[in-house]
Amino acid sequence: MIRAAFNRLIGMLTVMILVVTIVFVIVRVTPGDPAAVMLGPEATAQDIEDLRARLGLDGSLVEQFGSYVAGIAKGDLGQSIFLGQSVGTALWQRAEPTFFLTLFSLLIAMVIALPVGIASAYWRGSLFDQTMTTVAMLAASVPSFWLGLLLIQSFAVSLGWFPTSGYGGPGTTLLERLHYLVLPAVTLGVVSSALIMRFTRASMLDVLNDDYVRTARSKGMSEWRVVLKHALKNALIPILTVVGLTAALLISGAIVTETVFGLPGVGNLIVSAVLRRDYPVIQGALLIVAGLYVLVNFLIDMLYLLVDPRVRY
Amino acid sequence: MRPSTFAFLVGAAVLGLTPAASAQEKGGVIDVATIGEPPTLDAMVSSTDIVGMISQHIFETLFTFDADWNLTPLLAASLPTISDDARTYTIELRENIAFHDGSAMTSSDVVASLKRWLEVAARGKQVAANVEAIEAVDARTVKITLKEPYSPLLSLLAFNNSAAIVIPEETIPDGAATPLATFVGTGPYMLKEHKPDQYIQLVRFDDYVMRDEDPSGFGGARHAYLDEIRFVPVPDINTRTEGAIAGQFDFVDTLPVESYDRLTTEKSEPVLLEHFGWPIFVMNTKEGVLSDMRVRQALQAALSTSDMLAAAFGDTKFYAVDGPMYPANYAWRTEAGVELYNQANLDKAKELLAAAGYDGKPLRILTSRQYEFHYKMALVAQAYLEQAGFKVDMQVVDWATLVQRNKKPELWEIFITHSPFLPEPALNFILSKSAGGWWDTPEKEKALTAFTSTSVPEERKAHWEELQKLIFEQAPIVKVGDFASLSAKSPALEGFRPSPWPAFWNVSLNEKQ
Repeated sequence: MIRAAFNRLIGMLTVMILVVTIVFVIVRVTPGDPAAVMLGPEATAQDIEDLRARLGLDGSLVEQFGSYVAGIAKGDLGQSIFLGQSVGTALWQRAEPTFFLTLFSLLIAMVIALPVGIASAYWRGSLFDQTMTTVAMLAASVPSFWLGLLLIQSFAVSLGWFPTSGYGGPGTTLLERLHYLVLPAVTLGVVSSALIMRFTRASMLDVLNDDYVRTARSKGMSEWRVVLKHALKNALIPILTVVGLTAALLISGAIVTETVFGLPGVGNLIVSAVLRRDYPVIQGALLIVAGLYVLVNFLIDMLYLLVDPRVRY
Repeated sequence: MRPSTFAFLVGAAVLGLTPAASAQEKGGVIDVATIGEPPTLDAMVSSTDIVGMISQHIFETLFTFDADWNLTPLLAASLPTISDDARTYTIELRENIAFHDGSAMTSSDVVASLKRWLEVAARGKQVAANVEAIEAVDARTVKITLKEPYSPLLSLLAFNNSAAIVIPEETIPDGAATPLATFVGTGPYMLKEHKPDQYIQLVRFDDYVMRDEDPSGFGGARHAYLDEIRFVPVPDINTRTEGAIAGQFDFVDTLPVESYDRLTTEKSEPVLLEHFGWPIFVMNTKEGVLSDMRVRQALQAALSTSDMLAAAFGDTKFYAVDGPMYPANYAWRTEAGVELYNQANLDKAKELLAAAGYDGKPLRILTSRQYEFHYKMALVAQAYLEQAGFKVDMQVVDWATLVQRNKKPELWEIFITHSPFLPEPALNFILSKSAGGWWDTPEKEKALTAFTSTSVPEERKAHWEELQKLIFEQAPIVKVGDFASLSAKSPALEGFRPSPWPAFWNVSLNEKQ
């Protein structure tokens, strides 16, 4: 286990070095310029040059990369060009809505997907299974911005139960802020549930016909005990994989959902940073997101070892 | 909204009235949904409208514009005394003006602020080379000395973006190079908290000293009735619309014209600012096929601006097919040269192209879907231009790429932008030879110099007529027409005056609504 963890850590470090380099290069070769965005279409070329110098963007790429890497080594992700704060602070401020959004949407997805997936597998081919499979296909195909707007129109505009967008003003309590997360969490939860449900169903189908399940039944064990204890435990690995990857995707910013609902989360930060070419924020956010992704994968790998002792790396 | 209410709002905008001002009471917090997070709160650095809209509550300038777009004093006690040779402006400052940090405004703050403005602001740089000196005569008097007479100076000093704001000398960072770290002004509201992408919280500045005159446009008394103004970025235009209809916001900026009918509810009413601004096709006069004036004239002859406007805005309620560079309610309005507007004359365009020896080199139209109406107009223009014999290469890029590429003359022939109608023609980039399409001809420079050298209103109007005629004759741009801006407000919001840069002083909440 320790050896497997060490091997995985070496791989993670290599991935992070590649991420730092590739993101820096891609961001710099992409057309667009933060100084031009700040000054607008009517500025002169000289205005842009002057502002670039003031923002410290006039150095060579090698110099800029050097100071970026030196900053990372000291734990400094740099200073946002537009936000008037450090990248670390900007990310920290946005961690709360993204964390809770991820948590709630994942919970909603699992509450929907696991029972439905298990039931669909158990009653394979039934009307229930066919209906749920169709619904899952539809949910997977629905664009989240469309579903989001539909929920806004129904529950925020028509019924007035929830705010249309935002994350609360000054002085709002955590409970009030969480109220702003209900509609986005439902949007993401419904969309994510489709994939988890399909994996749960497929994984359960694989194990329900195995010998040990038959043996358990022949020993007179109750059906629920057979399904939930013996079958589900062995079906968990692929389910864990997809839940983990969904979680990583959500942490990295449910970009469209956060934009539609005006949530000041990590996804929204990345979108606005890309649109205005806030280089330090793009670099810092993608570095953290990639780090989280790699970390989640690492944790899933370690969970495999715990769930199934036969797994070796 | 009832038609009568709507007519009143539009009428108020034109006449500069402030409805129900006498019945307004202090108190309340409003949420204002904006199109996004402003790139900065440093009003000197940016010329974007969203920065002007928010920062004008915090910072003030020496002068501003009244409801008829005439210059009027703000931090200055009165309009300046101008020397006979029109080179020296002596500006007396108002007494007892306090900054948000409690310090008193003096002439040394004004001098330091104006010097920074000359160095960092695009509008400041426009005049910087012509400034001989800025000095404090005494604690309440500032003197600006120019090398040559330049009549747009006061308009540049009065404008609210790329603005000559007055800030405490000690908050100005060492040299102009460093961005502002604190945002301390003299305005009726002060910055309390800024959570990027979440809100900008402004609270009433209790020591604000108002002017004595009645409110008029951006001038006169600025009553801070509201306790707080919160600017909330809502970048998605559909979510902004739903937020307006749900009544989540008290004011919602820039909405799609298609949502107009949906905005009339118990909780919201549409605010239409007619003749808000004008879409512009800027032509590259420096390099490429459009550096030949005959090709530009051919392009101008080919376009049907009425079709372009119809495609972009749909209903005539939201646009006007109007050639002059200023709408009817501006003193600068003139019909000079407008016979060349909206020609849609393909035969004339073909003749001009043949005479110019156009060789079929692609015309690169640089546009973006950041503003959907830009793209729609570009599509219609493409159809007309191809019929006239142009080969068109449509380059649709994101806004950040567009604003970078449009500074490089080798990369485009036309770029599409838009502007509100600015109170003074010299504020507009199209007259600059170093911005936009680099329009630089002897005729234009002669007319522009004459226009900026005289302070006599009648002479300035005559020179502007000459300039507008040249804009049509030499075609450095194509003005597509006028368009309206649609916003929404809560019926409880009183005293609101529609403007290209909505302001919330003199605005109150009627809780009975």
